[in-house]
Amino acid sequence: MIAVKLSHFQALVVFALVISIAFGFLGRRRPIDRVKYALWTLLLFLLIGVGIGWAMYPFSH
Amino acid sequence: MSGSEGARVSPAEEPPPQETRREAIAFVVAAASWLVPGLGHALLKMWGRAVICFLTVGVLVWVGAGMRGNLFNSRGNDAFDSLGYLADLGTGGFYWVAKSLEKNGPDVSRADGDYGTRFLATAGVFNLLAALHAYEVARGRKV
Repeated sequence: MIAVKLSHFQALVVFALVISIAFGFLGRRRPIDRVKYALWTLLLFLLIGVGIGWAMYPFSH
Repeated sequence: MSGSEGARVSPAEEPPPQETRREAIAFVVAAASWLVPGLGHALLKMWGRAVICFLTVGVLVWVGAGMRGNLFNSRGNDAFDSLGYLADLGTGGFYWVAKSLEKNGPDVSRADGDYGTRFLATAGVFNLLAALHAYEVARGRKV
């Protein structure tokens, strides 16, 4: 078994990417709609993930 | 009105045989989808979705196990363990794949292991969502 070493941000990106593509395929039928939906979901995942990270920043100091 | 007339079931109350058959097929599709991620969609000839479901669950399980996430078992101590077990079981056959990949067991003393636990749980919940989607498609409620 290969050990997977990811930083916090890399883990967020991998998670967001995989789930966005899957949501795009499950949620939409036309290829162009799938791409749009996957990109939109990916953007939201990243923005909200980083946003929550910054919102928690003051409490870690 | 006689007694025999009162006991008769109106045809409107019974589902048509075609509908019953469709329901049974949908149930089989959902079970197949849970057991092998993507198989339900493959049975419905939705090849793209089948491949994506298989790869998504596979990648999440592989990364989760590689990060040494916690794979819950049936002997949980509290409600969270039981919920985690249900989520992990959602991966179907991949539950045993994850178990065989994690030869050294989980290590949640580091953030990596904690993230791995979430990856594994997400794989299960996503697979359950995909199985529900396949079920709805087989019933004709979704396209």
